[in-house]
Amino acid sequence: MSTTRAGLDSPADAPDPGPAIRRATWWRLLLRDRFACLAVVILLFVGAAALVGPMLFGDLATRQNLRAVNRPPFSLDDGWAFLLGSDSLGRSVLARLVVASRTTLSVALPAVVISLVVGSIWGMWAGFHRGWRENISMRVADVILSFPALLLAVVVLYVFSPSAANIILVLAIARIPIYLRAARAESAELQSRLFVDAARTFGTRSWAIIGRHVAPTVLPTLFTVASLDFCFVMLTESSLSFLGIGIQPPDMSWGLMVAQGRQVLQSAWWIAVFPGLAIVVTTVSATVLASWARLAMDPGQRWRLTLPRSRRANKALVKEVRP
Amino acid sequence: MITTPRASATPRRRVATALLALAAMLSAGACSVANSGPEASSGAANTVRVVLPEEPPTLEPCDASLTATGRVTRANITEALTERDPGTGQLQPALATKWNQDSPTEWTFTLREGVKFHDDTAFDAKAAAFSIDRTVGSKIDCNVDGYVFGGIELTATVVDASTLKVKTAKPDPILPLRLSFVEIVPTTTSTTGKVREPVGTGPYKIAKWDTGRSLRLDRFAGYWGKAPDFAAAEYVWRAEGSIRAAMIKSDEADVAVGLAAEDGVGDAAVQFPNNETSYLRIDATKPPLDDIRVRQAINSAIDRDGLVASVFAGLGKPAGQLVPEGVTGHSSAIQPWPYDMAQAKKLIAEAKADGVPTDTTIKIIGRNGIYPKAAEAMEVVQNSLIEAGLSVKIEMLDVNAWLEYLLAPFPKNLGPTLLQAQHGNQAGDAAFTMGQIYGSKGAQSSYGTAELDDLIGDAEQASGEERQTAFAKALEYQNKDVVRDAVIAHMTGILGLSKKVTYKPNAATNDEMRLADLHPAG
Amino acid sequence: MLTFLRRRIASSALPLVVVILGVFCLARLTGDPGNLYLPLSATPEMRAEFAARHGFDQPLFVQFGDYLTQVFRLDFGESLRTAEPAADAVLRAFPATLQLAGATMILAILGAVVVGSWAAYRPNSVADRVASFTSTTAASMPDFWFAIMGVLVFAVALGWLPTSGTEGAAAWVLPVLTLLIRPFGVLVQVVRGAMVTALSAPYIKVARSKGAGEVRVVFGHALRNAAPPALTVAGDLTVGLVNGAVVVETIFGWPGIGKLMITSILQRDFAVLQAAVLVTAITIFALNIVIDACYALLDSRVRQGVTT
Repeated sequence: MSTTRAGLDSPADAPDPGPAIRRATWWRLLLRDRFACLAVVILLFVGAAALVGPMLFGDLATRQNLRAVNRPPFSLDDGWAFLLGSDSLGRSVLARLVVASRTTLSVALPAVVISLVVGSIWGMWAGFHRGWRENISMRVADVILSFPALLLAVVVLYVFSPSAANIILVLAIARIPIYLRAARAESAELQSRLFVDAARTFGTRSWAIIGRHVAPTVLPTLFTVASLDFCFVMLTESSLSFLGIGIQPPDMSWGLMVAQGRQVLQSAWWIAVFPGLAIVVTTVSATVLASWARLAMDPGQRWRLTLPRSRRANKALVKEVRP
Repeated sequence: MITTPRASATPRRRVATALLALAAMLSAGACSVANSGPEASSGAANTVRVVLPEEPPTLEPCDASLTATGRVTRANITEALTERDPGTGQLQPALATKWNQDSPTEWTFTLREGVKFHDDTAFDAKAAAFSIDRTVGSKIDCNVDGYVFGGIELTATVVDASTLKVKTAKPDPILPLRLSFVEIVPTTTSTTGKVREPVGTGPYKIAKWDTGRSLRLDRFAGYWGKAPDFAAAEYVWRAEGSIRAAMIKSDEADVAVGLAAEDGVGDAAVQFPNNETSYLRIDATKPPLDDIRVRQAINSAIDRDGLVASVFAGLGKPAGQLVPEGVTGHSSAIQPWPYDMAQAKKLIAEAKADGVPTDTTIKIIGRNGIYPKAAEAMEVVQNSLIEAGLSVKIEMLDVNAWLEYLLAPFPKNLGPTLLQAQHGNQAGDAAFTMGQIYGSKGAQSSYGTAELDDLIGDAEQASGEERQTAFAKALEYQNKDVVRDAVIAHMTGILGLSKKVTYKPNAATNDEMRLADLHPAG
Repeated sequence: MLTFLRRRIASSALPLVVVILGVFCLARLTGDPGNLYLPLSATPEMRAEFAARHGFDQPLFVQFGDYLTQVFRLDFGESLRTAEPAADAVLRAFPATLQLAGATMILAILGAVVVGSWAAYRPNSVADRVASFTSTTAASMPDFWFAIMGVLVFAVALGWLPTSGTEGAAAWVLPVLTLLIRPFGVLVQVVRGAMVTALSAPYIKVARSKGAGEVRVVFGHALRNAAPPALTVAGDLTVGLVNGAVVVETIFGWPGIGKLMITSILQRDFAVLQAAVLVTAITIFALNIVIDACYALLDSRVRQGVTT
């Protein structure tokens, strides 16, 4: 299996350069890829908006003006704040977008990261050891998958006090099986390979083997799934807000803005479309970065990123593929 | 004064190329080219197609006070002894031709003769008595029992085939009105469980209920009254308002129920007062809401005109009381509270000076979807109350969680709350509003006073003109000296009608949609 | 293989009981259904009577014991909302969902394999960029946009398709397309990623040097090696669809299990919820057994493919 080779080759292929040099190479690689660059810039921008947005626009985002509701976008008649129009209460859509980025990220990011980290480590562990550990882990995943997430959410609403931490918990638990199953599958396949056996006979401890040999092969797929999970989590979060868990108006998140704008999609499309676009752009940026990282992290693939971006790229590729 | 610009027909398309495809789709939607689809392609020509927001859970006649059930069952499949004219508020004969109050607790009903059920058995006093017993006395959790009778005890006895006597334990001046909710079913109907497909005497009978997909009613040939115009009715259900509107435009439905202003049904929209009144219930037992000045300030701080014009898109009428015009007990003396922020601020400041803890955080308990833009409406209220000097938070809940707050006993350790609520008086008498909402022991009441209880109690026993005055007096007292509510608006509903059908919606349309009132256009 | 299946099925029995017990208990933590099923003005006596009639006043373990004995007699109780047997409602809704999910996943997997392989054939090329960008963009859009815009354009403006409903083949187009977008986008990414790695592996060079055609190289050798991760992800996406495609079912009026489950959760219709979860859980368990079996098969074939 191809992945095996990568796992085998990696130690030999890439003699560990000093951390400083490695960092410099990564930067160079990144700068060479315009799309990945753009993705990083967008993500940095979203991050910055989340950091300082609420301080700068917090007041503007909640200021209602019932005499100027549903103003269409791309007009400066009401000032730059209304460049993206106003919502059904006359608030600036632009300011709300910026301010909402904080809540959105502070829910989506932890939810995705927790499910990714817990799911992948658990899955690799289960797949590596096989036997009862694997069996129990997979049945637990089956059980979680069989529960409607909404039921969990409603229970949380009734039993615990609603808070952002609870949404994160519900979302993370619901998504853990996805990573758990994917990581287990690949890890189980890998552990039967020769090089893992070899490492074992040399007395390498299992966590070390998982970290060095299993993780590099398993993680790229999981990163791809995780980056696309962003949008899913952002949109699901809004349906939980609808039940009264977590983010409540006048707090705002992109998901909640999309959900509220849904009612007026035909008469004031901008209210739902701009936050929706924000979700799409952020997710796509994360995916582009994930797919770049996948190439950059794979020693066997990294050369593709070092090629000059020109028409020759394709030719070079073909040549390489057809010896 | 207030303009609410609707979507411009041509959104500016100066968008990046990446957005072009999307923008094109959107503008196509916004322009909404009316489509003259294939003529009458679906269904027989003489079928009226109705699209509802939800499938009726059952068609059980004794649940007919539930909107989703009653909308299909009432006056179409089954009928009651009496019926209320939603226009005039007068009680009309239905399966009973006349009735008489023999004593304060005894009534005699003369029943219509020659009426047949859909299963060809005859309607008689036995069926009427059986139906009343089944609704009030059986153990099948009839919604009508709780909604209309709420613990009132009555016995129905058969005198002869066309005469029925009804006795109540206590005098009840509006018994005939209450009986307009008891749908009459044959004695063969189950008394141990709800029936999904009932037999009735109505102008339509159930032809086929393809559960989950559609419900078809056919005209009942043996109907005692005038035969309705449409030979059949086909009901389908779509939860999404914009889809119901789209079905009218693409000629897949003739009547679309429960639309909002934003659903885009266009010219096919017909507006009608839907008999619902939106209000905020003030929990007047907890500080700072236990101070009447704070409650008055809340009322003054809400800009009802602004709310109706912007959030409700002009649909609705600012209101000052829960009992709308046309319902017995409505007081013409009560006007909506005028918007006066200065007054609100002054009252809050006064209360604060007297040591009322006005900075305690008040929680607005909202319910998503209770009416269109429910969350936005609460955000407006919150904004105004904060401006007036209060500290307010919002919690929007789903129905069942919200019900825990609506119904007594209320959750413990609850701070001061404002509850977003809506009340519809289907029956046309303030007795169906006052006791449960304003009585200090009412199921939905957060606060009441002994004086108000007395006023309500007196009104419930009165009849005729006296009843009207007594309920109006109780309402006025509530509005002036109790101020338990901030009533917002009498709401307006929208119905979508295709060009093939004419129908005049009325205040009862939401709860019963008479197919017999639908006529082919032209 | 048979031993494998037998062992898997046996080891799924306990988790299934856990699911039933879990749903049973969790459902009862979500408040009293009496509030929803009795009129607002119902008296406390009526509420107590309601609770007694439906057993909600019993201790939880007594209720669960009763329920289990019922289930063993294949009696799943009666819906509080619709007064019909819960099993009827679930067995009616589930096939509708399965059909939709099946059609969607077949199209998504086929499409993703073709597009993903095509993109991976020349990583970072224009074709790759376009394919990846379009599929991820589509996958991350709110699904109701597609649904509502699709209806407005194709049903209202153009009149080509019905707005909603289940009648006729045309009614399937919009629901399947809406449902397809996300699994397709995710799978394209996963297939592409796995294929990029697979196509650069040494044995591909070997295959080529033996004179194998490009189609055979890509879909024969490389795809077989790239299949495992794609299979897992496809399986999980299918599970997501089996649990119900709530948005699509709601918008298009598709009478599926997702809508039924949401309604029964929000309406506290416990019998229906329990029956629905039981049926979907069994399906999900079965699906996972099938996926694992596929793995085992694929694994042995992969090994053969590499060694021979």
